[in-house]
Amino acid sequence: MSEWYMNEGKDNDVVLSTKACIVRNIKGYNFMPRLDDKECKSLLETIDKAIDKNKYTGGCAADFDKQTILRLTRLQILGRESNQMATPERKAFYYNDDVSLSIAVGSGEHLTVKAMAAGHDISVYKQAEKEALDLESKLDIAFSENYGFLTSHVRLAGTGLKILYTVSLPAISKTEGGIAALTQRVSQYEWAIYPFAERGEIADSDVYIISSVNTLGVTEDEVLKKGEMLIADVIKAERALREEIATSKKDQSEDIYGRSYGTLKYAGMISRSEALQALGWLRLYHEYDDSGDIKVSCNTINKLTMDILWEPDAPSKKSSQSAASQKYRAQGIKKILKGDD
Amino acid sequence: MRCERCGKELTNRIIKINGVTYCENCARLMGYDRFLNDPADFLGNPFSQLDEIASSLMQMNELDFGNSTLTCPKCGMTLREFETEGRVGCIECYNTFNNNIVREMFKQQGNSEYAGRLPAQSADTDAETSDVPQTKKAAASKTIEMEIPEKAEEPVKETKAPAAKSGKGGLTLDQLMKADLGMLSDEDLEKGIKVAAEAEEYKLASRLRDELKGRKEGGDNV
Repeated sequence: MSEWYMNEGKDNDVVLSTKACIVRNIKGYNFMPRLDDKECKSLLETIDKAIDKNKYTGGCAADFDKQTILRLTRLQILGRESNQMATPERKAFYYNDDVSLSIAVGSGEHLTVKAMAAGHDISVYKQAEKEALDLESKLDIAFSENYGFLTSHVRLAGTGLKILYTVSLPAISKTEGGIAALTQRVSQYEWAIYPFAERGEIADSDVYIISSVNTLGVTEDEVLKKGEMLIADVIKAERALREEIATSKKDQSEDIYGRSYGTLKYAGMISRSEALQALGWLRLYHEYDDSGDIKVSCNTINKLTMDILWEPDAPSKKSSQSAASQKYRAQGIKKILKGDD
Repeated sequence: MRCERCGKELTNRIIKINGVTYCENCARLMGYDRFLNDPADFLGNPFSQLDEIASSLMQMNELDFGNSTLTCPKCGMTLREFETEGRVGCIECYNTFNNNIVREMFKQQGNSEYAGRLPAQSADTDAETSDVPQTKKAAASKTIEMEIPEKAEEPVKETKAPAAKSGKGGLTLDQLMKADLGMLSDEDLEKGIKVAAEAEEYKLASRLRDELKGRKEGGDNV
């Protein structure tokens, strides 16, 4: 079965992926920061019994080999932070065939149910909710009438729900004041926008994450509907600016588009930020290229973008800038672009 | 106790100058740094308010911290740990630090009341992925794709612009968009304005109009 981000998603010219995360904790156990190793082992066993093994594979992270860790990082189950796999014996990960659904145990909260889809697809909420409901019926979940689902991070208490849209905004980023105006717009919806980067990393692309903030005082339905209104606004704004750039600066845009494709296709070595910049230009002008010389689909641009963004090495680390890793990256890009020809 | 200048909780020392409590950092920024390491220096300064300063340099463990020593009876988490980390250790912490947690919730979300679904009950939502209209260019391309089977014998480039958007015997919308306006005849420009206006491409229409106007006024429009 193909992996989730290989699917052709809706509005995939702007939205790379949609994710729904639901966090829960179990009564009778301290939250993760105050859970000793013995209790943690017992928690992992309790949750393991509740997981539907016909649907999910995986288990304790200490049993994962290096290949599995790399695959799960690339498929966005594991974060790229080096501390993600610290104390693996205190963590477990379960995932379905195409890795679109996952259950993380011990990553911040006892349980994190995550559903992911390529492009713009809010149905991920229903998928995550279905899995959360199943676990809620089998486990004794920490819940208070006043504060909802109780979590170790107070900012998640309530619905324990986060909706995240990963978006690529080359046109808004290249427009003076574009991101500032967008940030203002996003905050009007009481949502947040931040550049794609993990702790200690440098944001080196035009990829942003638009995330829900409120878990209290709002229903799940309100969060979803607000998010849909917001993302529609973002998509419209990005497309309008792409059109503006592509038509008002047609010659320059066409030139950079061609050069960017050439760099990606023929470079023998390429840095992460150079590759991401080039992919931003491919995305920006892709729809306006009438020459027919460059054959690359939105899905391929997305796959390349996500592969590079979720490379296990962070951009601030020397290893990702080394000659060997630049060469390896260039070879991977060439291979994927060749498949589109 | 907090620094009255920056609001930061005091961790090891407090410095009280002229009745105002500072943290070490603020005291340094206020220019009192030379007195922090060795109070004797301060005492030797003829311009200082000796008694006040000397009595204010106290260790934090001698001070009354009020609620900051509050500890969860179940997991042992202290209020200070909660304030530093933003996380609680167990369910009981929600009772122990209730006031502080509610304050934190208000600070972060402007609300502290739960409105979501109950455990094991589905949320009542009919939210669906909204349809975002494509740009005019993309919409046009889709129309063309659908039209291709009927016009299969025509070259693809010719079918790029919808027939409705092409001028009678004139240039298509796509051709107009790509055209060097200086190379178009007056007649092409006039027809182009109509084509662009019909297609609601007002920017293009105004560029064509300006080009035509410039020629009629005798300007070279460079």
